[in-house]
Amino acid sequence: MTEPILEIQDLSFSYEAGGGEIFSHLNLRVEEGEFLLVKGPSGMGKSTLLRLICRLQQPRTGIIRYQGREITLIAPSVLRSSISFVAQIPKMTDASVRDNLLLPFSFAVNKAKTAPSDESLELMLRNFYLESVSLSQSAMKLSIGQMQRLAIMRAILLNPDILLLDEPTSALDPESAGMVFSLIERLNIDEGKTLITVTHSDYAPKLPRAAIYRLHERTLHREER
Amino acid sequence: MNQIIDISNWQLLLGLLFILLAQVSSFVFHLGLNRDIAIGTLRTFAQLFLMGFVLTYILQSDRALLVVGVFLVMVVSAIFIIKGRVAEKQVSYLLPTFLTMLVSYFATAMFVSGLIIGSSPWWEPRYFLPAGGMVIGNSMSALAISLERFFRDLRQQRDQIEMQLSLGAGYREASAEIFRNAVRAGMIPSINAMMGVGLVFIPGMMSGQILAGIDPMIAIRYQIVVMLMLVGATTLSSVTIMLLIRKRCFGSGEELLLTSS
Repeated sequence: MTEPILEIQDLSFSYEAGGGEIFSHLNLRVEEGEFLLVKGPSGMGKSTLLRLICRLQQPRTGIIRYQGREITLIAPSVLRSSISFVAQIPKMTDASVRDNLLLPFSFAVNKAKTAPSDESLELMLRNFYLESVSLSQSAMKLSIGQMQRLAIMRAILLNPDILLLDEPTSALDPESAGMVFSLIERLNIDEGKTLITVTHSDYAPKLPRAAIYRLHERTLHREER
Repeated sequence: MNQIIDISNWQLLLGLLFILLAQVSSFVFHLGLNRDIAIGTLRTFAQLFLMGFVLTYILQSDRALLVVGVFLVMVVSAIFIIKGRVAEKQVSYLLPTFLTMLVSYFATAMFVSGLIIGSSPWWEPRYFLPAGGMVIGNSMSALAISLERFFRDLRQQRDQIEMQLSLGAGYREASAEIFRNAVRAGMIPSINAMMGVGLVFIPGMMSGQILAGIDPMIAIRYQIVVMLMLVGATTLSSVTIMLLIRKRCFGSGEELLLTSS
């Protein structure tokens, strides 16, 4: 049996010490190249699960391992450039599309990575259904659907091993939502990217390596397909 | 000509006419300041008379420990004033703020009194205590401004910070702009004071020296030292404190601990 890219063991979490638990003894195993969809109603802690994986929050008890190593032993910035988290509401800085896309390359941990050229950024914009967007225009003027795709593109530029997507379509109209789902499916099929997406929508991916989990009673249950 | 005119008790009470003016205005225009004006006036009289007695005693003393003790009381009072102005519950900032204020203000006052003015010993109370008092008073306001702004901006820009953290930024990188703005906000008043001094206003210490019959050319030298000292003390204390406090705002995973509530 190969080593999972991500493993969660006996995870428990509550917002306050001694407070009501959001997760209790939660276990999860994610193989490289898998497409994980975590479903469940809003407010159950789906987003918190993703935030725990990239250490934007800390568990009360339990262990999370990335490539066999406990994530608490990895420098947070190194971990987050390998496990990229895209928030539910995409955030841009008040600058051009180009500056927003290249922002991660200004951080010390990513300095060794080569920043993409304008040509490759433009090509990617087309692949992300953003052909009408120019690199020099202000990112703040984009629609929420365009920002969401740009945020995913920005995370992908760092070539992370795992992409965590928090409700990527919750603020989008059906057409934009369809674009985002088709995009993330392609990232999984074409590039073999490991994805963990949480959603409360009825989306059901038709992918060979998709696994659907439901968050219920403070733990994850795998759904049979 | 250089004889200093004493202010008698009756003349001092005449000064209360200014307070009467403020009280009447507050009453007529419903400013709601009557209680604060009354308490402020009483405190001004009580605190300054107390300080007068203490200073009279200390200026005649030759005990360094006593001078340092008074300085310590001034810093402790300043930290309570900052606590009243910066309402922060999630991050404990008081102890690092107190220690930084104590060390940086002490070093500044010591440098000015012992080295620039050249008093001997360095803790000579008539130089060390006024220098320390001015540093504490001015820098305390700068710190309160910086801290308040830092905590507020971290909360307001939480999503922006988390976005950058998610893309591999360290906590220093993700909060760099907020850090800069907070330190700048604290430093700007003392820099602006250097722009206006001598043109827009005659500073308190210089006015005091001139009233006491000191040659204005000597008084301005003291004032220049004070202006430079305030910029230095503000920079030293606010940069140090913000560096210490920033670390406390982030957890072991460099996650932002401040929540929006």
